[in-house]
Amino acid sequence: MKIISKNPAIVGLFLPLILAVGFVSGVSRLSADEAKKTTLDCGECHTCENPSAENLCLKPCPSLFMLQEHAKHTVTEAPDSMLLKILVNEYGPVRFNHKLHARMSDMDKGCAECHHYSPEGRIPPCGECHGGEANPANLRQPSLKGAYHRQCLSCHREWSHSTACAVCHIPLGAESLTGNVKDPTDIIGIPHPLITEPVKRVYYTPYDRGPMVTFYHKEHIDLFGLRCVDCHQKENCVFCHDLQKPARLKKSQEEVHAICSGCHGTHKCSKCHDKKEKPAFSHADTGWPLSRFHRGADCRACHPTGKRISKLNKECIGCHAGWNQETFAHAVVGLQLDEIHIEIECADCHVDRKFENKPVCSGCHDDGRDPRKNPPGKKI
Amino acid sequence: MGLDRRDFFKIVTAGSASMLAGEVKAGANGGNHRFSDNFGVLVDTAICIGCRKCEWGCEQANSLAFRDKSEYEDKSVFENQRRPVPDKYTVVNTFEKPLDPANPYYLKVQCMHCNHPACVSACIVGALEKKTEGPVTYDPWKCMGCRYCMVACPFQVPAYEYAEPLTPQVRKCGFCYDKLKDGKKPGCVEACPNEALTFGKRGDLLELAHNRIIQNPEKYVSHVYGEYEAGGTSWMYLAGVEFEKTELPVIGSEPIPEITESIQHGIFKAFVPPLALYGLLALAMHTFREKQAEKGDNHE
Repeated sequence: MKIISKNPAIVGLFLPLILAVGFVSGVSRLSADEAKKTTLDCGECHTCENPSAENLCLKPCPSLFMLQEHAKHTVTEAPDSMLLKILVNEYGPVRFNHKLHARMSDMDKGCAECHHYSPEGRIPPCGECHGGEANPANLRQPSLKGAYHRQCLSCHREWSHSTACAVCHIPLGAESLTGNVKDPTDIIGIPHPLITEPVKRVYYTPYDRGPMVTFYHKEHIDLFGLRCVDCHQKENCVFCHDLQKPARLKKSQEEVHAICSGCHGTHKCSKCHDKKEKPAFSHADTGWPLSRFHRGADCRACHPTGKRISKLNKECIGCHAGWNQETFAHAVVGLQLDEIHIEIECADCHVDRKFENKPVCSGCHDDGRDPRKNPPGKKI
Repeated sequence: MGLDRRDFFKIVTAGSASMLAGEVKAGANGGNHRFSDNFGVLVDTAICIGCRKCEWGCEQANSLAFRDKSEYEDKSVFENQRRPVPDKYTVVNTFEKPLDPANPYYLKVQCMHCNHPACVSACIVGALEKKTEGPVTYDPWKCMGCRYCMVACPFQVPAYEYAEPLTPQVRKCGFCYDKLKDGKKPGCVEACPNEALTFGKRGDLLELAHNRIIQNPEKYVSHVYGEYEAGGTSWMYLAGVEFEKTELPVIGSEPIPEITESIQHGIFKAFVPPLALYGLLALAMHTFREKQAEKGDNHE
């Protein structure tokens, strides 16, 4: 309590929490049986085995619980680039590209990757909980210096294989702080290039009968509206940056196949594997070349299952339910039917209701007229 | 060494008293909760990044060397396993991380400050002392250079100044006892940027260690080295692989001095053996004298 009384910020932070928990515990205290039913692990918030109203033994940062419940923030809210300089004495400050890290953290645990304590409404900066000195009353909580170093180095040393101070710390001295950073080894100072998705990727596999697997990356994003995180999960810097990629990060054959078969669900090797690059997907190959009306449409408008694309009913009404002679606005195809023709059955011009074929006039007119030259209405 | 006859007897008496006290605590092993209030350090090898700033901090705090901090970024020292030497009370070594050889684990070695230190037990002049706060300290003014402590230490920590012909000392980490008394942390702990070294009460550290294991079962093996090893130590370790794969020795939970002391002290147990011996001698003398007296009678 000595620490708490010293630091009003901590009081401000924890007092409402303690009061809130106290209130909750007073109003709806969980019985032992009820507690067993909750999905939450008691140890998430309590340090002792049997917490009581007298001794709640709460952890100061009930991390996981807080995250799941309250951390619903987006990258756009995040600060851009920061200069961490509170602790500057022996070593210079650290330039930290917060937004970049935030964007990449989407591929794993999101903001929670670093901000393990986020009360409702906001994400507090590290220094709000982590003080200048390690808290002797709570050994679980490192000092700000320890927290920074642990947080940064846990990833950075994995792929940079370096723990040299100058990798992160800008050397002390004013010019290096304001001047342009030209040092190519300074990966911190240089802004990370914008991550652009590749159009296609060709993978070379050990499968003899079809070593090449062509993956149209951009197409998958555009067609299915996928976000990076939909496929790239549990990834970190090491995947891209570490040239000496450790064995544990290499995916097993099962894992690699699961990425594609998760949606494509095929056991036919030739579906993906080939001896040459496979052409990109063409809708015409399915026997249904996309007309000018369908070309721009979202796949999911016709294939509502999204992931699984099954063969559809080729009839217009297969998708356009409710279309009939009265309701169909013929003008959308660029021809406003005149008063006479609008009354005629569709099939009188469109033989056998095959709308993809050229309509005929011979059903009524014997003069062999061409619907293009003598349209049954006004062209729009 | 102003040790007169009177003082000698005082020590002997105190020694026998502590021996008797030792008998009381014998068999109480595993009950090392008695050391919960001792100071200790938890070394988390999963957090340690091998920056060797602890070596720098130690050398500063003990005035062993004054090198620039940047010199400690030299990673070539990890090529060979090192051990504490007279001017380096602590060294950082590596051990392999499975599946990720490019990022090995690091292990800081120093005096473990055992709860039942074998060196203290072996020291015949009381130069090594187990302080109530936890540290095992060394007094060069009492040391006579027998180096029994070096033989006794199961962790092979004490080093000897063989290069000093006139005033050689045994050298080992003293847990920065002077700093500890002032409520400060040891030099190495202060220097650790990653706070892989956590300083605190031994009981709290054990709780912290077990908490970390429970919360990160994929990161740690369920073993706190030093909780029971050699009857418990003040410095304790967490690791991601079995400790058999590290340089730390496999040691049982019995305090090391228990075996030797039980033999040596057993001889003097409750003064029965000495009394028996003297009794035997007295009997022999008595019978011998009687016989001699008889002979003398005959002569006269």
